[in-house]
Amino acid sequence: MPLLSVRDLRTYFVADEGTTRAVDGATFDLYAGKTLGIVGETGCGKSVTARSILRIVERPGRIVSGEILLQRDGGYIDLAKLDPDGREIRRVRGGEIGLVFQEPMTSFSPVHTVGDQVIEAIQLHRRLDKARARARAIELFRMVGISRPEGRLDEYSWQLSGGLRQRAMIAMALAAEPRLLIADEPTTALDVTTQAQILELLRDLQRKTHMAIMLITHDLGVIAEMADDVVVMYLGRVVEHGPVDQIFHAPKHPYTQALLRSIPGIQHEARVKLPTISGSIPHPFARPAGCPFHPRCALVMACAAAPDGVCCDHHEPELITVEEGHSVSCHLYRKKGAAVPLALESAR
Amino acid sequence: MSTIVTPPPTAVPPQPPAAPLRERLTGQILLDVKDLKKYFVIHRGFLRRTTGYVRAVDDVSFQIQEGETLALVGETGCGKTTTSRCILRAIDPTSGQILFRTESGKTVDVATISKRELRPLRRQMQMIFQDPYSSLNPRMTVLDIIGEPLLVNGVKSRRERIDRVEELMRLVRLRPEYMRRFPHAFSGGQRQRIGIARALALHPKLVVADEPVSALDVSVQAQTLNLLLELQNTLGLTYLFVAHNLGVVKHISDRVAVMYVGQIAELAEREALFRSPKHPYTAALLASVPKPDPRLRGQRKPLPGEVANPAAPPTGCYFHPRCAFAVERCKVERPAWEQISPGHWVRCHRARELTLPGIETSSTVAPAAN
Repeated sequence: MPLLSVRDLRTYFVADEGTTRAVDGATFDLYAGKTLGIVGETGCGKSVTARSILRIVERPGRIVSGEILLQRDGGYIDLAKLDPDGREIRRVRGGEIGLVFQEPMTSFSPVHTVGDQVIEAIQLHRRLDKARARARAIELFRMVGISRPEGRLDEYSWQLSGGLRQRAMIAMALAAEPRLLIADEPTTALDVTTQAQILELLRDLQRKTHMAIMLITHDLGVIAEMADDVVVMYLGRVVEHGPVDQIFHAPKHPYTQALLRSIPGIQHEARVKLPTISGSIPHPFARPAGCPFHPRCALVMACAAAPDGVCCDHHEPELITVEEGHSVSCHLYRKKGAAVPLALESAR
Repeated sequence: MSTIVTPPPTAVPPQPPAAPLRERLTGQILLDVKDLKKYFVIHRGFLRRTTGYVRAVDDVSFQIQEGETLALVGETGCGKTTTSRCILRAIDPTSGQILFRTESGKTVDVATISKRELRPLRRQMQMIFQDPYSSLNPRMTVLDIIGEPLLVNGVKSRRERIDRVEELMRLVRLRPEYMRRFPHAFSGGQRQRIGIARALALHPKLVVADEPVSALDVSVQAQTLNLLLELQNTLGLTYLFVAHNLGVVKHISDRVAVMYVGQIAELAEREALFRSPKHPYTAALLASVPKPDPRLRGQRKPLPGEVANPAAPPTGCYFHPRCAFAVERCKVERPAWEQISPGHWVRCHRARELTLPGIETSSTVAPAAN
């Protein structure tokens, strides 16, 4: 039974110039003790998905349809139906679901000590007096590996290094012992050695608390390191969803394949031409019809060539299950049981 | 299954076949940096008394051959950007020499020559910036942005400038018909190419690229790296490539210098450095990079602690508080900058005895559809 189930979520930003379909039909599940990685490039809707779950999408964005089902007491509540300013969502936000942002620099207030901010977060969700809350904050700081926690509580965020600040951020997110931690690019602003420490910390905390983690990143290396399941997004759509090993070793969607090939890896041959994806990510107002990836896809099928008149530039593909737990939204896989289309083989 | 049709034309014109790889390395030293130091003074109190120094660049020496790519890697605050800024003389170094071989074959010390003498040299050293959003003036058209260095350097005829800008835009695979547009009309990758075209406008010899692809998405990053490699091959450019992403560095560089707290910890040819690093910091850095393969998971141990404060560096070797191999000597004695094998320089007391794990270069991940 999933802890959180997102069903066909659509979050649109309606402005005078046009409508941006930031999230356009996202479906996935999160399980306790497991990490779901959400990967994609700029504008794919991964952050808006996270913000939709917590109901903190900025205006003029709003959830137009879909369900966000959070398991509670054996049943589910639909977060998409809650009042975004109401009491109920505030219990969830920071309580049952914790959030870690990308920029540890801007997510703390510079005029309050980090301790005061963490204590405030604790007192919002727990009935503790100041002294007990402080003791709990010290305990949290120790748990996330901050040395001399008593002293650090009285420092300001700008006095801490990037790594320490991110640890403090995680401590704050864990204040109410959330069942789900949403980490939006938690290590993007950090150096690699610090990144390794923070990822290790997240894994360690997950082992101890059995919380679910939704890890949002553009870094496929981080995904490979952390995720159990992976959702690949492109222009608001889930293009592929599967177990991490499948995604990296048997990717199905042409976008996933191209993305993996274009990483300049430390394991690849140097100074040779990297395979690239032609063009760039379209402007949200100039969203292509049909499959959003088709103008950049090397395997695009035109109507005349398509077997049953269903073609990439007219018809938007649905998510199709190709294997147990592995689904892909691409017309190449429409024929049931066709694991790898011949065309794909010859094109490589 | 249906036949595959060719993809429709996109914003980028099709790439011509790659130019034949010419002999890139001439063996000629273009840049010779000797004992470079840049200390920033710390002032305190009402009287602004000097209370200390931040050793941003602390005794850095390296050479760059004509036509090669030297990468400077390291974590935030290691001094890689300060080093590159000293070389361009965007800031004045505290001491040391920066010997640059000019087009006319003369060698000048960029660190000490007067501003007046420096001016003609600036043409020969250009820079590509990290952020393609803030490094282009939003109120200038592409023609003006790329044409500005030409104008400043005496190309007064507008017709001539337009022709040269057209040529440059073709060179970086931008459509010349877009030259009267403003930067906001371009994507991040295209903007970065505008920045590259601007840097190339005056036929520089040395191009300093400070994190040129770190603001770009993976798919666009690959396009930009390909372009940089190709331009190097066709124009015979020399790159000083400043970056923190080891995957990118591994891809583009010939030699790599790893910096830590203002010093170069290790400098070697790319393959040697990645395969058999000699400095424990290099090895730790390599181990920290998340590899895009879930089967290699859990093979790493995070490096403990944090980067030392360059205003109050540790005694002895700057890396010893975090080093798993530190011995008593490392705490007291500063290691020397030594060449332990041809072209392989290290600053570590134990470099000769340690065998450290590197990265297997063979491609273990072959993302494919089978």
